[in-house]
Amino acid sequence: MFNNLIARAIVPITIAVTGFVVFGCLLLYTFIKSDMTDEAVLHVDNLAETVSKSARYAMMQDDRESLRNIVGNVGTLAEVGQIRIYDQGGTVRFSGQPDETEPGSAEAVVDPWASQMMQPDYPERTKTHHNIGGDSGLIAVSIPILNEAKCSTAACHFHSADEPVLGFLTLGISSEPLEKTLDLLRSRMIIFCVMVLFLSIGGVAALLRMNLFLPILRLTYWVKQAVEGANAKDLPKVDHKLGSLERDFRQLVQQRDNALQGWQTTGSSQSDTGNGSALDSRIGTDDAGHRTATATGPGQNP
Amino acid sequence: MPDIEPLRQQVQAKIRKLELLSSSGLWILAMFTAVSIGASRDFDFLPNFSDDIHKMLGSAPPTNFINWALVLYGFSAIIMVLTQMTGSKRPRGAFAHFGYLSAFYAFYHFSGDLAENLWAIFTVGMTILSLQGYHVWNYYKDKVREEQEILAELNKLLED
Repeated sequence: MFNNLIARAIVPITIAVTGFVVFGCLLLYTFIKSDMTDEAVLHVDNLAETVSKSARYAMMQDDRESLRNIVGNVGTLAEVGQIRIYDQGGTVRFSGQPDETEPGSAEAVVDPWASQMMQPDYPERTKTHHNIGGDSGLIAVSIPILNEAKCSTAACHFHSADEPVLGFLTLGISSEPLEKTLDLLRSRMIIFCVMVLFLSIGGVAALLRMNLFLPILRLTYWVKQAVEGANAKDLPKVDHKLGSLERDFRQLVQQRDNALQGWQTTGSSQSDTGNGSALDSRIGTDDAGHRTATATGPGQNP
Repeated sequence: MPDIEPLRQQVQAKIRKLELLSSSGLWILAMFTAVSIGASRDFDFLPNFSDDIHKMLGSAPPTNFINWALVLYGFSAIIMVLTQMTGSKRPRGAFAHFGYLSAFYAFYHFSGDLAENLWAIFTVGMTILSLQGYHVWNYYKDKVREEQEILAELNKLLED
């Protein structure tokens, strides 16, 4: 199969186009996924920053009711999956789900990724942390609530000035919309990929067949006909798709016909003069046709 | 008439060697598949480098740079193999491609984004190595055919 001219032409094109289109689509999907995830992280960062800024005054005033309302109201947003404010020890003080902080209720479970940074000896305690693609199905951020000069000197507070972190705000938005968009993108990309493959491979195959393979197959058929004894006038007209090849072949057959005709004429005249045996001895020689073709003159041999 | 038996044996040995070479593309493909299976497990069967070696190697390049390098490499490698095929040149560089692709796996592994980009490297690797393998197979099969013709002529001479 692979010795076939058609297979030799089509297989490399198929491998190269298929491979590169699939590779391109995979990489493009990775790029888009990364960009969209970055966008979602930026969004959750902004949201957490907004909550932090809006809750700052309530924290400074130790207005727990206002703080509870702010957190509770943000928690009602459809996209917000989780909002919590922890103290330094990692206990949930305020939550978007009020039952987590109600007296007597079981203590809310701290996410494993967040619990690590709440350890007192954790070196990056004062930095913002993200959690993407966790088991919770949330794109979450944890920002530390830092101690400020005003805070450590406020009468209502009991934090000492050397405590850098007073608590943590964690906020998570559902990653479901992002995953749905990526699923949609993936299915569209697969459809687009299949279409490109069909068009490129089909188009190349059709062009090759029309402009190269069919003329070659036709020429092969003519050659076979000529070998089996067909005359030049029996061959179909040339269409120049293979350049001068078809015309040259036709001329070769024409020359052969002329040579054969000339040889037959010469042979018959010689047999008339009694030299038939000498002619017969020349029939099997390789250059018989050449000699007779030369005998026909330059007009017959352009 | 000189003894042509040694020449005949020489041609037969050459045919055997060429037939062996014609399947070398498949061996490289198999090796790449094995490395890819290892990559899909994040090379968990290999021992971890010590902190000293990590320090010596330095931090991994950003994933975005590796992605663009992979695109550039994939495109150039496919064009290079197609050019070799068009020019009917002796196939070269299969091991180099295998090395480059393994290096991409290593870079993604150290940057921590191997799982995300595994299929992209696998696809481009299979494309390049399949093309290369196809070229190797065709090239050496043509050579085998040439040698077989010579062998047939020699056999004819022996019979005469």
